[in-house]
Amino acid sequence: MIRKLTAPPIWYGIIAAILLILPLVNDSRSTLILMTQIFIFAVFAMSYDLLLGYTGIISFGHAMFFGLGAYTVGIWMNRQDESLFSLLMAILVTVILCALLGYVLGVVTLRLKSHFYAMLTLAVAGLFQVGAEKWRSLTMGNDGFTFSIPEWLMDRQLFYYIAFFFMVGGFLLLRRFTLSPLGRILQAIRENEQRAESLGYRVLHYKVISNIVAGIVAGLAGLMYGLALRFVNTGVFGVDITLDGLLMTIIGGVGTLVGSIIGAALIQIAHDWLTDLAQVHWLFERWIILFGIIYILAVRFFPQGIVGSIQRLADRWKERKM
Amino acid sequence: MDVLFNLTLNGLATGMLIFLLAAGLTLIFGLMHVLNFAHGGMFAWGAYTGVWVYAQTGSFTIGVICAVIVGVILGGLMERWIIRPVYGNTMQQILITVGVMLVLSEMLKVVWGPNQLSSHPPELLAGSWQVGGFIIIKYRLLVILVGLLVLIGVQLLLTRTKLGLIVRAGVSDPEMVQALGIDIRRVFMIVFMLGAALAALGGALLGPYSGVIHADMGMEFAILAFIVVVIGGMGSIPGSALAAVIVGLAGAFMNYYVPDLSLAVNLLLMLLVLIFRPQGLFGAKGVQQ
Amino acid sequence: MLLKVEQIETYIDQHHILQGVSLEVPAGQVTVLLGRNGAGKTTTLRTIMGMTPPAKGQIIFQGEAIHQLPTHAIAQKGIGYVPEDQGIFADLTVEENIKVAMHKEDAETKDRLAWILDLFPDLKSFWERKAGNLSGGQKQMLSLSRALVQNNPLILVDEPSKGLAPVVVDKVVDALKEIKDHTTILLVEQNFAMASALGDRFYILDNGQTQLSGSMQELAQNEELKRKWLGIA
Ligand SMILES: Nc1ncnc2c1ncn2[C@@H]1O[C@H](COP(=O)(O)OP(=O)(O)O)[C@@H](O)[C@H]1O
Ligand SMILES: [Mg+2]
Repeated sequence: MIRKLTAPPIWYGIIAAILLILPLVNDSRSTLILMTQIFIFAVFAMSYDLLLGYTGIISFGHAMFFGLGAYTVGIWMNRQDESLFSLLMAILVTVILCALLGYVLGVVTLRLKSHFYAMLTLAVAGLFQVGAEKWRSLTMGNDGFTFSIPEWLMDRQLFYYIAFFFMVGGFLLLRRFTLSPLGRILQAIRENEQRAESLGYRVLHYKVISNIVAGIVAGLAGLMYGLALRFVNTGVFGVDITLDGLLMTIIGGVGTLVGSIIGAALIQIAHDWLTDLAQVHWLFERWIILFGIIYILAVRFFPQGIVGSIQRLADRWKERKM
Repeated sequence: MDVLFNLTLNGLATGMLIFLLAAGLTLIFGLMHVLNFAHGGMFAWGAYTGVWVYAQTGSFTIGVICAVIVGVILGGLMERWIIRPVYGNTMQQILITVGVMLVLSEMLKVVWGPNQLSSHPPELLAGSWQVGGFIIIKYRLLVILVGLLVLIGVQLLLTRTKLGLIVRAGVSDPEMVQALGIDIRRVFMIVFMLGAALAALGGALLGPYSGVIHADMGMEFAILAFIVVVIGGMGSIPGSALAAVIVGLAGAFMNYYVPDLSLAVNLLLMLLVLIFRPQGLFGAKGVQQ
Repeated sequence: MLLKVEQIETYIDQHHILQGVSLEVPAGQVTVLLGRNGAGKTTTLRTIMGMTPPAKGQIIFQGEAIHQLPTHAIAQKGIGYVPEDQGIFADLTVEENIKVAMHKEDAETKDRLAWILDLFPDLKSFWERKAGNLSGGQKQMLSLSRALVQNNPLILVDEPSKGLAPVVVDKVVDALKEIKDHTTILLVEQNFAMASALGDRFYILDNGQTQLSGSMQELAQNEELKRKWLGIA
């Protein structure tokens, strides 16, 4: 299922160019916000893909990293001054916390069978959500709180570019990672855990590494999300955040990274568009059903997702030409 | 003293509701090795159906019956069209059942709107008895009673009937059961429908118990049921019953004395069990790689 | 011919395990399937039972093609299976193990059960014990009983002597001798003494293919064949 990307780099260039020019052509607030959301969620979904598509780990609690990043930046910026230095510190703290969480959770629970791991992560993320709700002195409870960020970061256009490069950077980094010898081992584990084990790999060890990397990346996505909204509440730990990442990855194409980006774009755009339509008919507010059904069909009938299916078609076409 | 008694009764009742959910989960897992992440969806559908039919007809009993029927139908459809096609592929199973959960709870909002529904016990079961110095809320007693009846019923089914015999044989070796001429897929379907029916029954009982129901409740109770199933041991009905009572009581007491730590304690319990006794209190199946 | 297996090929995952197995099992006889470890004997039996269905070839039982049927339907056609690991339901009692296989409770079935319990008196004395606590030989007897209780015209028995003490093996041989008067047996066996004591005809399997067949008597006398295919001097 995992193959090298066949799309010619030129396409990446063209799309990148369009995205770079976009804010100059269309600087409406809503477009910029939407695009920024897409970039941020694309990174979150890619981190999910690292687990699901490249290592074969199913987590239903990935939002715990996302939420950790969002709360870290919020709490940090609120307690410190709003300088660039505090922001950098917040980033550092996020990385450390997420790495720690990824490590501890991985070591304690990744030895479980996949059913139990999925279930446990679901419960642990629930615990984070409850924690955020109850630890009022730190989190202001359910309602959450707003916080200030460096003045210059409030510029929507600038933030757009930052988010864009965040996504590109995340993509390149994760791609590097998955193509590295370490990434190859992860894929071997995904394909056949027993075989990897019998080849002498310490499977748990590698799964934990994957969990840490995915956790850090997801935490940074959460941090960006917090910065974009300048607001955080317990929703960032919610199951629906994890499910969004899952839908994006599966629909876009598991084990491709690009698929996560496409999935993120699709779901965010649909979300935006269909929520608007909710004024026409309330049924549109339940747009997630549509994606739920597509997701189920995808898992069942085209587990490679959009990108994987296109790749397969392209491969077949090439074969015929030869 | 009064408080202790009340908390115990409350914990037992909640425990029994969780047990109704956990019984199906544990049976389905024991027999089919499927952990159904949509099980909470059946529970929520049972709750909504029960409350709505009760409101429409004025009969609590009809509401419960309809809820169970809806559970059976949902279970049958799900087994046939969702679980069976991905049977044997753990990853697909997990992913697809969570998708079904998502769709089921969104569908609830489509049918009944996004707001919570409220409910109350029927007249016969409303109010409480005063026994000695104790106040016994009637409806809680009913919930406990139903839970016990289900426990006994399922145990009898498993130990006294041919179907139960096949289920127990299937738990240890499903392939061999087929080699003895039994169509195990039919047994899977029956067990799945039974599990869904019990979950829906639990949901239907929950409505008047908690007063309000909302769509996300399915997931909340499912998490508790997962905890129970792990603590009790996958595939073990008595284990689930005991664990459900433990979790229910722990929840009730913690909620009263240290409300902030209620879920945390149960989770910690599950974590400890998973780490130190992965087969659970009663189960024999390993959950570690 | 009771059972005819024609050129079956079976894959497990991507591995091409059976690459052309053909054999015929005449009614009323014991047909023995021989071959080294890993030759594909177990897979052949499992393919007949529909547990690893064949990708090619066909299997005819009592004149009817069965290779596309699911396992339970094949069993219902009248084939009993005694797997290599005996397939005992360890948490169930001896009685319950047999009850799983008993689909009827008529007089005929009860008679047969009585005959089985005469054959294996041990089972009667452990009737209500957990089957998991039985000895290896008793488990083998229980597994045979389950295959017999349904009046199957054919039973497939996979290495019944495996892991048993010689005294116990003798008991199993005696039981199979009596059983062969009631039903046809396709027997997989590595223990050559046992195979030749019971077998009428033999097939030798190697590398997932049937290599050789003939009467058991001929094989027992032909040292060269035995050395070449079975590694017995
Ligand atoms: N599940 C499996 N996966 C891969 N290979 C298998 C599997 N089962 C059996 N094999 C292989 O198929 C061959 C035949 O096995 P088997 O039928 O058990 O042989 P026998 O019973 O003659 O010893 C062996 O080489 C074995 O390694
Ligand atoms: Mg064998």
